[in-house]
Amino acid sequence: MEYVYSVLILIGIYTILASSFNLIIGFGGLISVAHPIFFALGAYASGLANLHFGVPIPLAILLGTLFAVLMSVTLSLPSLRVSGDYLLIASIGFQLGFVEVIKNIEFAGGAGGLSNIASMYAGPYRSLAFVVTILTIAVLVVALVHWLTHGDYGRAIQAMRDDEQCFTSLGRNPMAIKITIFAFGSGLAGLAGALYAHYFQYLTPEQFGIVQSSLILTMVVVGGMGTTVGPVVGAVLLTALPQAITFLNLPSSVMAPLQGMLYTSLVLVFLFTRPAGLFGKPVRQ
Amino acid sequence: MFDLPILLQIGWTAVATSAYYVLFAIAFALTLKVAQVWNFVQAGVMGLAFYAMYVAMIRWQLPHVAGIAIGLVVAVAVSAAVEAWGFRVLRQRNSSSLMLFIFAIVLAEFISYLLTLVFGTEPETLTKSIASDVHLVGGVAITNWDLRALAITLTMSLALFAYLRFTRNGQFLYAVADNGPLAELYGISANRAYLLAMVISAVFVTAGVYLYGTRASMIPTQPLELMLFAVIATILGGIGSIHGAALAAVFLSILQSASILVIPSAWQGSLTYFVLFIVILFFPTGFRVPAWLRRAARGR
Repeated sequence: MEYVYSVLILIGIYTILASSFNLIIGFGGLISVAHPIFFALGAYASGLANLHFGVPIPLAILLGTLFAVLMSVTLSLPSLRVSGDYLLIASIGFQLGFVEVIKNIEFAGGAGGLSNIASMYAGPYRSLAFVVTILTIAVLVVALVHWLTHGDYGRAIQAMRDDEQCFTSLGRNPMAIKITIFAFGSGLAGLAGALYAHYFQYLTPEQFGIVQSSLILTMVVVGGMGTTVGPVVGAVLLTALPQAITFLNLPSSVMAPLQGMLYTSLVLVFLFTRPAGLFGKPVRQ
Repeated sequence: MFDLPILLQIGWTAVATSAYYVLFAIAFALTLKVAQVWNFVQAGVMGLAFYAMYVAMIRWQLPHVAGIAIGLVVAVAVSAAVEAWGFRVLRQRNSSSLMLFIFAIVLAEFISYLLTLVFGTEPETLTKSIASDVHLVGGVAITNWDLRALAITLTMSLALFAYLRFTRNGQFLYAVADNGPLAELYGISANRAYLLAMVISAVFVTAGVYLYGTRASMIPTQPLELMLFAVIATILGGIGSIHGAALAAVFLSILQSASILVIPSAWQGSLTYFVLFIVILFFPTGFRVPAWLRRAARGR
């Protein structure tokens, strides 16, 4: 049962990550792959706040989320000046560079990772409590993203994405919208990270590398970019699917690349056969 | 620490090491200029070419020439296939640049996973020993590898320059790069130009990865990092300028080597990414010589 709980928890965490990433890339059209960095910032900030400063866990989770928001605003102010391909490449550099930086910070556990992070719940119903908490938060996040992207503000976001010049000529400020959705999406990733830290209680820099980027991107692309349901289905499918391989009991040296090949080949198949994903409208690529 | 022989040695090693970076940067810049794609598949091609040469030279014990030929065939075949069945299909569908990018990066990652599955994560080299004979010139150690690398890079760079400048096919590449639809009106096939650019890039990538593999060890995830160096050089050199990318690669190599004097070695790995970030934010169109300096140089 413990195994099923941990898969459900991962599904919840990836649902938050995929939905928030979809807000940035799918609805906002901001092509960044650095989403796992905000996941990491939330996880490390929350874990460190609790571990080194004794901050109570709920407050530490809030701090982790806010720290991710703060860092995303700091990063987005200069980097959203550039867009499209440049933003994408800047985000790759930031992604890879950040992992290198964490590896060298002893305070955060360095390359060996940060261990002994306190659990949010204790006792025999620990995992069940986590399942309920994380799935509830995941549902709320999906509802929040849906609400944000389907009202007046959502129409403004999509107008900015589809034609920035026209949007500006109407007197609207695209930078304000970009920064808001980038900060909002990154904050949600930070929240997912903080929850992750207090469930798994161990963090390593490698968990937040480019592989994580491609995994979240796969969830969004397979599910359907710019849709509410798509990333959720993508998260469920791509978290559950690799579990089938784990039953093969292959050594980790085979398992890890095999899972990577599974994710990447799925994206490639979808790019050529159904570029809009499972739930996207086929007309828009 | 800052005495002249050490500085000279660092400078020489940086210039010699820049040889493969220059080849990678030229390959990346050429594809970006002609086909207007950020061809991250180049990282996958690098990995495939390296491991093809590794199998030929180390496992099958074939001579280096045969190993390079095999690596070249693999790199050219994969690059041509990627253009014909990947980029071309996406272009015909008017796919967004995001889709082209996702295709390129995901395919590069797929190849990296495939190589990890087949060859594992043990570092491998293309020679049993990466040591090379050393000559001391004025207190500076110059290895045979340095001389060979610089000779290969200079020859290939000049050959490309001559090809682009003086041959009909080379001029077609420039024409398509400048204005693809207009070039097609004049009977130049843009698809053929894109394919040719990918093939030439594959040749440069093979040469670069051969030099890299005879000097340092490679793991399947390494090519993506090497690629980023080429990306930074391409942006820094000014997008559309192949020689600018090559010069930027030399500059970055010197910067990276010289950084050892001021930055702890543990942080050196982060330097490349830091430079990438700064370059994109503050010099997205590359370094350009200020107008007043250009006028001064012309004596006006």
